[in-house]
Amino acid sequence: MMIEALIAVALIGALVTFVAPNRIAGKLAFAISLVPAALSLWLFGAFDGSGNALRGGELAFESQAAWLEIGDYSISWFVGLDGISLPLVVLTTILCTLAIVSSWTPIDERESQFYGLVLFIEAMLIGVFSALDFFLWFVFWEAVLIPMYLLIGIWGGPRRKYAAIKFFVYTNVASLVMFGSFVALVFGLGDVTSFALPEIATAMLEGGPDGLFGLSGTTLASVVFIGLFLGFAVKVPIVPFHTWLPDAHVEAPTPASILLAGVLLKMGTYALLRFNFTMFPDQVETYAVPIAAIAVISVIYGAMLALAQTDLKRIVAYSSVSSMGYVILGLVAYTQFGVGGATFQMISHGLISGLMFMAVGVIYNATHTRMVTDMSGLADRMPIAVGVLIAGAFGYMGLPLMSGFAAEYFIFFGSFGSELLSYSAAFTSLAMFGIVIVAGYLLFALQRTVFGPYRLETDYEVGRAPAHDVASLIVLLGLVILLGVAPDLIFDMITDAIDPIVQGGDL
Amino acid sequence: MTVDVQYYVLLSMAVFCIGLFGVLTRRNALLFLMSVELMLNAANINLIAFAFYHGNLTGQLFALFTMALAAAEVAVGLGIILVLYRNFRDVDVTVPTTMRW
Amino acid sequence: MAMASDPFGFAPAIAVFPLVAFVITLLFGRHLPKKGALPGIIATGGSLVVSLVMAAAVAGGGEHHAQLYEWTAGAAASETGAETVAFTFGILIDPLSALMLVIVSLVALLVHVFSLGYMNAEGETGLPRYYAELGLFTFSMLAFVFADNLLMAFMFFELVGLCSYLLIGFWFRTESAPSAAKKAFLVTRFGDYFFLIGVVAIAATFGTVGFAGEGSFVTAAETAIEDGATLFGFDAQTWVTITGLLVLGGVLGKSAQFPFHTWLPDAMEGPTTVSALIHAATMVAAGVYLVARMFGYYALSPTALAIIAFVGGFTALFAATMAVVKDDVKQVLAYSTISQYGYMMLGLGVGGYVAGVFHLMNHAFFKALLFLGAGAVIILMHHEQDMWEMGGLKDKAPVVYYTFLAGALALAGIVPFSGFWSKDEVLFDALAVGLSEPVILAAYAMGLVAVFFTGFYTFRMVFLTFHGEPRSDTAEDPHPVGWAVKVPLLALGTLAAVAGLVNMAPIAKLAGVDITFLEFWLDGEYGYVEGLTYHHYHETVAEMAFEESYIGSETTTMLLSAGLSLGLALAGAVTAHTLYNVPDPDRHTTKLGGAYGVLKRNYYQDEYQVWLAEGLTLPLARAADRFDQTVIDGVVNGTSTISLFGSDWVKRIQTGIVTNYAALLVGGFIALLLVFGYLGGWFA
Repeated sequence: MMIEALIAVALIGALVTFVAPNRIAGKLAFAISLVPAALSLWLFGAFDGSGNALRGGELAFESQAAWLEIGDYSISWFVGLDGISLPLVVLTTILCTLAIVSSWTPIDERESQFYGLVLFIEAMLIGVFSALDFFLWFVFWEAVLIPMYLLIGIWGGPRRKYAAIKFFVYTNVASLVMFGSFVALVFGLGDVTSFALPEIATAMLEGGPDGLFGLSGTTLASVVFIGLFLGFAVKVPIVPFHTWLPDAHVEAPTPASILLAGVLLKMGTYALLRFNFTMFPDQVETYAVPIAAIAVISVIYGAMLALAQTDLKRIVAYSSVSSMGYVILGLVAYTQFGVGGATFQMISHGLISGLMFMAVGVIYNATHTRMVTDMSGLADRMPIAVGVLIAGAFGYMGLPLMSGFAAEYFIFFGSFGSELLSYSAAFTSLAMFGIVIVAGYLLFALQRTVFGPYRLETDYEVGRAPAHDVASLIVLLGLVILLGVAPDLIFDMITDAIDPIVQGGDL
Repeated sequence: MTVDVQYYVLLSMAVFCIGLFGVLTRRNALLFLMSVELMLNAANINLIAFAFYHGNLTGQLFALFTMALAAAEVAVGLGIILVLYRNFRDVDVTVPTTMRW
Repeated sequence: MAMASDPFGFAPAIAVFPLVAFVITLLFGRHLPKKGALPGIIATGGSLVVSLVMAAAVAGGGEHHAQLYEWTAGAAASETGAETVAFTFGILIDPLSALMLVIVSLVALLVHVFSLGYMNAEGETGLPRYYAELGLFTFSMLAFVFADNLLMAFMFFELVGLCSYLLIGFWFRTESAPSAAKKAFLVTRFGDYFFLIGVVAIAATFGTVGFAGEGSFVTAAETAIEDGATLFGFDAQTWVTITGLLVLGGVLGKSAQFPFHTWLPDAMEGPTTVSALIHAATMVAAGVYLVARMFGYYALSPTALAIIAFVGGFTALFAATMAVVKDDVKQVLAYSTISQYGYMMLGLGVGGYVAGVFHLMNHAFFKALLFLGAGAVIILMHHEQDMWEMGGLKDKAPVVYYTFLAGALALAGIVPFSGFWSKDEVLFDALAVGLSEPVILAAYAMGLVAVFFTGFYTFRMVFLTFHGEPRSDTAEDPHPVGWAVKVPLLALGTLAAVAGLVNMAPIAKLAGVDITFLEFWLDGEYGYVEGLTYHHYHETVAEMAFEESYIGSETTTMLLSAGLSLGLALAGAVTAHTLYNVPDPDRHTTKLGGAYGVLKRNYYQDEYQVWLAEGLTLPLARAADRFDQTVIDGVVNGTSTISLFGSDWVKRIQTGIVTNYAALLVGGFIALLLVFGYLGGWFA
């Protein structure tokens, strides 16, 4: 019942915050969000699962209850955690708490609604990462969109309506494709009568679908694989489905950006791992080369786009596209280090991109601009915040002893010698060139913004960042370094959950 | 003496077509409403005729229901026409065209 | 006592001391006396003591190879059959790393002391940051030196790069320092890109990244070559060459070898102490040290060795010619650093492991000395660095002058100063191999010609700075320097003069006495790790790559080589003497003709690299951005525009006129009726 408790605390907290007066909403939401954060850390400590949730593994904190019967099919409330989902849940709760703290300064209207929505999104995200029934999962998956749409649409920048609608419609259309594909798959699987993911995964490995609408079983599996891949590709996002991301980020308020880059993007990669790369080993093998090509293009193209930007948020947004390309490369390598590294990168990128967006937000709060061209010498005025920003930027570049390096190294090592992927060494070497471009644009941005003579024309004094912002930046930086020095803190449980996938389907 | 059922059908068809013609051509809301009533009653004629023909009272029962419905409809319809008149100083149905997109 | 039984148990302390100093200075530096210098001095002093203990223990026949911590481990099928892989942090103390640990901690200590005079006494702001970064650097560098595997080496290799970035950009309020810092990191990063591919490739091929022992990738590579294995579709030796060259990318970047040398002169934007520590004696040495560390791997590939030697020889000459026309004293030293590292690469590339390491050691001392001397000159001159504003400092600061002179003699390679012995050994080894390998002979020839230029620019610098009449008011009345400046200079000056005595190979051969102590040291006469000795490397190189031949006998060749290089060095010095050791020297730039412009602009190397970044990559990025905004996002927006347009058109049938709706209703009903009728077969 622990997962239910997590979701319930966040949901009730959202309601309470919604009706609380604006004046106290921020502090109240922070206090409430500490509960799921602490609870998820406790779950992390008490984790006793093993294996992969969809491959007959031992689930931690599992609970299941019948919910609906539709025809021959049953839908149930079915949640549980394994080594892949638990770190993501912890990431979600921690980032939500920090996102709330980082909204104290910039959010100054309709606070109670704002913080209520943040807590609501937290509850839904926990649901996405813990649900193991397709319908339940889909409900959470879609429910995440609504608060994010509102956060961007109400508290966003000048083009917030455009960005919010683009975000909502684009990802929603993708969800439709994904939903249709998956339901077709379930109908195609003859003897499956529930939407529980473990059962579907087992059926997929034990022979796959029988066929539907005149399509043969293998064709149906391929069509569904592609449909799901396209559906999740938008969420990740993978080039060329990425254009909603920079718009959403630029218009979103800082805390929404933190959650968007930190957790929402991971929904896409998490779903890719759970669905495409767990249920369709044969299709992964068939489509490995095109997928790897897309991954490399995402890495290089995303980094090149980041190089051309002058808005700090756009830089970080495009670099997320690039970083997500690494995740795809790791997944398609289909080795322990590749898929494990991809999962590690989800956590690592969540922390680092959260850190970057938070730091950019702190700078924006102080200077009211995000344009690289408008700033100069900020290190002079806000030394600690800038110091953390520099550390975060180097984390993004993959500096060793920070989590980004561990993740990228695992991915590169895992994909270089991949047996499943042809030309794996060439793909890996190409993708690795991203580490040069990322250094290029981040160092360029740092040089222009934080270094050089202080030269910013404001009619007020730009001073040090508020203590609570600096504190949350340092918490994130500490986590990034901790995971970089001791990746086994989570990598062990990740690989434990990965092994059944990459070692083939002998159940 | 009995009348063959096809005459009833012919009658009802004629009444219905008169009503339909009215609906499609009249611009006065009152005439419009009356045309609708004609079409409704054409259906009633059918119901009663076939009920008689089959010796089954269900059709007649439904005709009663339809009348009640028609009464209610007229009440609502007249209400709308009154409001129309108050707003547009006219009962021409082609004038109020703002209730779209 | 535990210490007596196993002094190696304290090895981690070498790196931990500076790390602690870093943390203390970072957190409390502002409140400490001397703004954080003291923790740094104590820590580097402690590291030096422990390093000396390690060296003594190695001299006593010990060696140390231990795993400290397992970073991660997992299943990964490698090409050579290993099923699992472990990535660890470990300590490897053998003669090479013990020597390097002493060098690094000694120079770090002296630089910390010098900083008291250079930074504190000059009233710089941001000192806690400076000392914290120095501490982080020392930690990373020492950990890099005792790393027992390639991945750990890579990680600390990157961290020293970060520290270099931060320290070059120490004066971040200027425009130039951040730009130079960015350039330094980017250029080295470009090299590190290849290095990382190399690390990943080696790990994926052999399933191990260890340097030493049975489980090392070097041993695995030897076995693979013997077995004639095929690795990633290449035969084993080709694959070793490829991966070795990939790793070499990082080496060329860090050790500022052509074509990645351009960042080092710009890095002189940092404080001179930083230049001395990082950009002369230690971090730049990391690249060469890495080649020495995994020399057994390169020894397997003659192609890789030849490339190392050729790049080294070329860089030695290339950089030396550029140093000739520089006016800024630090610039001269920067180009000379590039050139000297070229010599080390040349030495290692021809299999002269001892010669390369010997020059690495000597260079660390004399170049740190020269940079600190330049720092002292800069204090004297109130932060003026142009040599044409100096002159006549000889009498005003004798300590600085004589120590600087010792360094200059060592750099130029004048007997009996340290540089002579090592440079001579490098050139001798190159000649011996070159006599049967034309590529190496070309590399040797370039290295030899560079000796002349080295003698010339070194003494041009000495004469312009210290001799003649003062050419500016500050040179007339220089700022005094304190003990914190003089003590490190004296210590390094002594070392620069005498360090060469540890390996006087020519004397040893002529007199037939065993005084080549460094060779014994590296050859396993004392403590050693199996497979990491000069002996082993020498055999491998002889078997796999090159054979040596001589003109006449070995002794004749040696005398010929030594005489040639000494003669050229003296010729360079004499030329500089005639041109510049006059009361009022002339620039003599017109004599160079068109070459002057080319040299002054550094052969347009910076221009093309800047063009690559700003002329090629940036427009490409902008084009990609335009493509993204117009085509890809255009399709997305186009989809919504088409939908909107379509609905705009469709909504017109909603006229709002009741009659029309009724007509549509009827029409629709009739149409439906017809369709159903048709399907029902009425009209058949």
